[in-house]
Amino acid sequence: MDITALRARLDAAHYIYDDELVTTLWVALKLGRPLLIEGAAGVGKTEIAKVMASALDRELVRLQCYEGLDESKALYEWNYQKQLLSIQVRMNRQDVDELTRSLFSDDYLLQRPLLRSIRSEEPVVLLIDEIDKSDEEFEAFLLELLSEMQVSIPEVGVVRARTIPFVVLTSNRTRPLSEALRRRCAYLYIQYPDLNKEMAIIRAKLPNVNEHLAVQVAQAVHDLRAADAILKKPSIAETLDWVSALEALGVSDLTPESARRTLGFALKSSEDMEAAGAVLSGQPLEGGHDHGHCGRCEQGQS
Amino acid sequence: MSSGVYLEKLAEFSSLLRREGLAVGVQETADAGQILSCLDLTDRETVRGALQAVYAKSREEQAVFRQAFDGFFVSLEQREALRRRHEAEARELAQRRAQAEQELRVNGKPMELREDLREVYVRMDEEKREQLRQMMERTRGLLGRNPEKLYGNFVRSVFTRFLLEQQMALEDAAVGVEPADPDLALLYRDISKFREADVPRAAALIASISRQVDAELSRRKRGRSHSGKLNFRRTIRKGLETGGSFYRLSYRRRRRTRQRLVLLCDVSGSMLQFSEFALRFLKSMSEASESSEIYLFSEEARLVDSFALQNMDAFRDYVRASGLFGRGTDLGSALEYLCRQPPAVLGSSTTLIILSDTKTINLPRAAQSLAEARRLAGKVLWLNPIPEGKWPYIRSIQTMSALCQMVPCSTLDELARACRKMMT
Repeated sequence: MDITALRARLDAAHYIYDDELVTTLWVALKLGRPLLIEGAAGVGKTEIAKVMASALDRELVRLQCYEGLDESKALYEWNYQKQLLSIQVRMNRQDVDELTRSLFSDDYLLQRPLLRSIRSEEPVVLLIDEIDKSDEEFEAFLLELLSEMQVSIPEVGVVRARTIPFVVLTSNRTRPLSEALRRRCAYLYIQYPDLNKEMAIIRAKLPNVNEHLAVQVAQAVHDLRAADAILKKPSIAETLDWVSALEALGVSDLTPESARRTLGFALKSSEDMEAAGAVLSGQPLEGGHDHGHCGRCEQGQS
Repeated sequence: MSSGVYLEKLAEFSSLLRREGLAVGVQETADAGQILSCLDLTDRETVRGALQAVYAKSREEQAVFRQAFDGFFVSLEQREALRRRHEAEARELAQRRAQAEQELRVNGKPMELREDLREVYVRMDEEKREQLRQMMERTRGLLGRNPEKLYGNFVRSVFTRFLLEQQMALEDAAVGVEPADPDLALLYRDISKFREADVPRAAALIASISRQVDAELSRRKRGRSHSGKLNFRRTIRKGLETGGSFYRLSYRRRRRTRQRLVLLCDVSGSMLQFSEFALRFLKSMSEASESSEIYLFSEEARLVDSFALQNMDAFRDYVRASGLFGRGTDLGSALEYLCRQPPAVLGSSTTLIILSDTKTINLPRAAQSLAEARRLAGKVLWLNPIPEGKWPYIRSIQTMSALCQMVPCSTLDELARACRKMMT
């Protein structure tokens, strides 16, 4: 697949991209390398894997990383209860070797995302999300999979990939990743979109939105992200939430009052809300987040 | 372009990137070659993006890569413009050399001047050359025997100064070259050169780095947490869940002895900024924050109420209100105060961290007090905001660094490294 074909597929998936992004995706695909995507939370790193799955018409296999994640949750685990049951049922049989062999067969193997992705008959998109949250040991464990596309299971041996998955790793840079991991990947850094790209995203995701309102919200979000006082910058998803909330409330013009009522969709801490008042109108918004008027709070999702 | 030529260029480019500090191996060059064979080489932006994905593996490396790419692969228009410029420069240089040949003569004989210094004269701007010519004109006739040599010495001294100025201008230019990312620029800039407007960004950057370091440290601690000894009781109890088989083993936790930190921060005048940044780092690291005792000092030392430093944004106001700001620095008195404190502040499990540029009144007394503090404390570490290159020329640094471990912390990056190292 050449770059033009990839562009066409991303267009078909209604994904807004820039040249750097599409070139990097194409390079990773062409070389069969995993793609490491870094950037602040909410810039759309995970979305890229979803879009690639859709664009390449592949299944998306997702591994969400967290502290303490180990091989049993990421790669495989033996179905211990089933093995115990089997031992008890066949306790009096003479063929002990056969029993032992059968206990470590596919029947007792619980495949976790990594193993599932390389044993799949059809190539998949494997998303290893927030790799920076996992431990260094797990990162080291991934090296074999990412470079050789194989994993070693002590009881079975080396399992080689039937099909090569397109691997996407994302990181919020909460800790530096090892050089060894980086060297095995193509690299992409995503920043928050500029005003035009954000407008394009709003138009693509919310086609019926009031254009004037969309411009105002995009500008407001742009200002909030540029402000040093705002610690947790609004993500693209939060921009879309904010526009949707304003639309749902029948607001067609982003006034300080309407912003005050709905700012909870873009910002998620009282300190940021206070700082946002000064950023958006030059005056602090009295009372910060108005929970009484916040649709999300009413739904108990705040 | 034939494939041989572009592969050769690519190898040269890889080598350039290696010199710039990127870890580029044969694999990367091979990947780049494979990718280039599929691309339209006239599409500069796509080629740049593709090579960037192959060669640069972090945001910092991307900035280095872009600079290297733009310097190495020039477009046809740029190349033509460069060629024209080089030709014009070469013509002008030849003209200047001929002119210099005439000007650097005394009594019809050439001056005794090294070839490289002649070249410096050739490259001097016209104003400076004119000054030199006037100076030579004024002193003509005052010189007795061997005027060629005397003129040569004079011109050499002027040139040496000129060369030094050029060197400094180059260094300044290097400092002024800011990477595309403003945060990165801030990370590597001398803390003493920070402007007031940079402080909030620096504070945000420190918070972000501290979070990273903190997360990394807590992860490492957890990873090392078990002692290797089996916890039989928990193992047996867990085994009941799996029919009496010891499927998962439980281990005893390792006992951890937390090190105590005593921070002695110089807040007199120019040191305030540095102390604030260092404290921001240390306070946002939970390990340091929970176990530290902070003293501020200028002419005298004072223990800081930890609640007063909960909000580091108010640190400057706190220091100004304390009366310590704007006074002289007496490290000796501050260390004596620490050593005298009942109950003992410094003990064998204590690490004393001094944040200061070593400039103090009564240096011998300060050195003596430091030696005493070192005897009492388990470890003494000095974070110094003066760039390491200047250390050999500052006597107080020479004296103090002989007595304790001194760490250069002239930039936020160095400060972050020092704090990370301290906690591991």
